[in-house]
Amino acid sequence: MFAKHVTKDLSAYCHGELSPHDASGVAEHLIGCPRCRVVFEEIKLGVKLAERLPEKKAPDSLWQDLEARLDAHASAGEFASARKVASDRSIRPTARIWQPRFLAIAATLILALGLGAFWFYKQESRPSWEVARLNGSPRIGSARVNDKGRLAIGQWLETDNVSRAKIQVGSIGQVEIDPNSRVKLVQTRPTEHRLELARGRLSAHIWAPPRLFFVDTPSAVAADLGCAYTLEVDDEGGSLLRVTSGWVALQLKNRESMVPAGAACATRREIGPGTPYFEDASENFRQALSKLDFEPHDSDWSKIPPLNQVLMQARPRDTLTLWHLLSRLEGADRSLVYERLAALSPPPAGVTRDGVLQLDDEMLKAWKAALESTWSNDSGLRKAWIKIWTGALGRVKGVEGGK
Amino acid sequence: MERLAVMSEPLIDERVIKDCQQGDREAFRLLFEAYKDRVFSMAVYSFHGDQTAAGDVTQQIFLKLMTSINQFRGESQFMTWLHRLVVNTCIDEQRRRKRHLGFGETFALHTTGQQNPPERRYERRELSAFVTAAISELKPKFRMPVLLKYVEGLSYEEIADVLGCSKGTVASRLNRGHKELARRLAHLRDQVVWGE
Repeated sequence: MFAKHVTKDLSAYCHGELSPHDASGVAEHLIGCPRCRVVFEEIKLGVKLAERLPEKKAPDSLWQDLEARLDAHASAGEFASARKVASDRSIRPTARIWQPRFLAIAATLILALGLGAFWFYKQESRPSWEVARLNGSPRIGSARVNDKGRLAIGQWLETDNVSRAKIQVGSIGQVEIDPNSRVKLVQTRPTEHRLELARGRLSAHIWAPPRLFFVDTPSAVAADLGCAYTLEVDDEGGSLLRVTSGWVALQLKNRESMVPAGAACATRREIGPGTPYFEDASENFRQALSKLDFEPHDSDWSKIPPLNQVLMQARPRDTLTLWHLLSRLEGADRSLVYERLAALSPPPAGVTRDGVLQLDDEMLKAWKAALESTWSNDSGLRKAWIKIWTGALGRVKGVEGGK
Repeated sequence: MERLAVMSEPLIDERVIKDCQQGDREAFRLLFEAYKDRVFSMAVYSFHGDQTAAGDVTQQIFLKLMTSINQFRGESQFMTWLHRLVVNTCIDEQRRRKRHLGFGETFALHTTGQQNPPERRYERRELSAFVTAAISELKPKFRMPVLLKYVEGLSYEEIADVLGCSKGTVASRLNRGHKELARRLAHLRDQVVWGE
């Protein structure tokens, strides 16, 4: 365990420049140190931004201009040897190979060989994750996975109606893929591990600092903030997230849902994540919330508007749902949500009705922080998380990513 | 996002370098073609995206390369030697341009900055343009390690070798560079983190 703060090592950690032992120490420290985690998020953002640096193409005219300057220097006597070689070369038989015709042939050959070598290199050197067959005949691309296989960036892992597989997510966790699923490895590197789930279901168990492991679905992106969850994508691209421990964030564009253990959240194409709810909420509460999120104008469903049903049936724990609804509803509806939320759990000092109704970011965060203790037993959870994670450290070499 | 081209890959072999040392123009052309885009990229990021200035500096670098390649004795890696040439030329040229920038121009730059805070200035640009601008605005001692890491794909040890400092200094400067980028482009966090 690294007792000292690790902020000075964070870039080296992101770049895989630390020894496996030191990388493990940094990762372990990040789990337990909120202060270093804040800096880690900052450094990670800086790394991701720098990785977006586009290569600039030099203008075609550069060589002509440079050649003119070279000639000027040569005529000033700075390239005596150059002129000598050039004049010598004019009488050398090998000078013919520099003729345009030969150069073109040579360039074509070099290009073909280069492309071949590059393709081979890309195939061989792509980062990959280990895949273990659990049942049936999962496939990576067109190849069947017998007992073990490797899933490289850009490759799809598919299971049929009886197949199951387990993916080792670099050294930060495991993902089990259920039957009838299709998953692609999008990225694996120290600052980001990313899968795409096109259809089917996966169960993820991750032990790493928050926001290192992502799953893209057709209707949202899931970011791991903790330990374990299942994510299921249907044929229409909608998904259902169920969190079993820790926290998971779901996001599409500006819409984000924070889902703690025991809660679930549905998503829909074009809409993104719905409002999170605890799975032990009443059936009627969950149905009303689904209507509110995805079919707010379906008047046939019930004579009582879905928002009223949600508010009537909300328990103290369902403040999770109400807090998310504050920023998703407007006008009188937002006021109704505020009143019910305040009745269930009065806002903390410094948080005012007006501020909340105007979606003051700081006030919303302060209220959320006060409510979180009713949503999850975080201290116990964190202890469990660290226990799992540090136990895993015994068998993982840091969180440096894929092969 | 894929890392940019890696200049440390041996695109040019010893024979080409020897031919360049003999003043062979065709060999030099090969060398130029192999590295021109990366050298030009380093220059563009060092001169606030000014392509004309970058083109001029790129020519200066290759001209120096041609005139001084006889001094290359093979004691260090050719690429380390070239990287040093690129870094030093960019920094020297920046200093020279700063010296020749009149008071009025300096003042104009500063007042522009005050009237348009970074958040406003970056608002309507594409992500890569934001990053280009933010990188250009880093101090050279933070910018150069960032460019050597992300444009050239060098390891910390190689960067330390080019800059003549320790690996710890490289790590520390990259830390500062990353933080500075994150601070300037904080408004892009969601776009970058969520991979949209």
